[in-house]
Amino acid sequence: MMQESKSMTEQESLNIIHSMIQKAKGNFHETGASAILWGSIIAFCGIYNFLELEFKFPFNVDVWLLTLVGFIPQIYISIREKKNKLVKTDLEDAINAVWIVYGISIFCLFFYWNFAPSTAELILKNQHIELLQKNTLNGEIITWHPQIFSQVSLLILLYGIPTLVTGIARKFKPMIFGGILCYTFFFISLFTETKWDLLLNGLAGIFCWLIPGLILHKKYLKNRASNV
Amino acid sequence: MFKDLDPILHSQLRLAVMSLLIGVKEADFTFIREKTNATAGNLSVQVNKLKDAGYIDVKKNFKDNYPLTTCKITKQGIDAFELYVKNLQGYLQAK
Repeated sequence: MMQESKSMTEQESLNIIHSMIQKAKGNFHETGASAILWGSIIAFCGIYNFLELEFKFPFNVDVWLLTLVGFIPQIYISIREKKNKLVKTDLEDAINAVWIVYGISIFCLFFYWNFAPSTAELILKNQHIELLQKNTLNGEIITWHPQIFSQVSLLILLYGIPTLVTGIARKFKPMIFGGILCYTFFFISLFTETKWDLLLNGLAGIFCWLIPGLILHKKYLKNRASNV
Repeated sequence: MFKDLDPILHSQLRLAVMSLLIGVKEADFTFIREKTNATAGNLSVQVNKLKDAGYIDVKKNFKDNYPLTTCKITKQGIDAFELYVKNLQGYLQAK
């Protein structure tokens, strides 16, 4: 236990400074709840969507709506974690900013997917241009509506950014690995058809967030037990 | 021997508190107590001395009906800490 009045040598002073700075640095013990939540949701949606296309499910469900439902527990987790936080750091603020910007970017991406093709079609229409597609087998020519190719690749690319930033800034290897894997999945998805992109999307959720989240949660529980 | 060293900082617990706060934006009293392994009473006295010297800001609030004390190092505190470390290095180099 530290005494106030005990005289110190210069070496003891340096030792105290060093050990306290290390203790403050080693205080990264997030619960991992957010990572587990989003890792599970993205993994489920991606894999379900892949299975739906692969096995041609008779019922049509937009499983991605689950991502909207995910915001409800996320708000609860964020409020609870903020309340229980004993220390704030500038690094933490910076990482939070990266995730907020990432969230905004994902939100914008959905608008891009939904509006860019119809806007392109409208612009072409105003220029009296109609895009056509020809069936090379029977020669049939029909109108082609503009679309964004390999949409899921963009999503996977975005997953990689905050994950790798957090991994590098926190020196947290599972997230560095997840981030690098995301970029690998992105490149693979450029050469695969949509259903495989969706599977890669699900795998990205598992490696970027679910596994790192579970590791974080285990560390958090261990740390909490040692503080009791 | 340590005439040039800031007497406010040249104390085990106060130096530990400042070393903790220099690396974070702000910290809860409970966090500081856990890391320094000090008693609440002793820590409270030392925190007040640092506050009176203008080295830290102390905010007292309530969380779920329990008192919540948050400490944050000030610009004056950062300058004093940096000077203390510089002087300390001077002593070590002189040896």
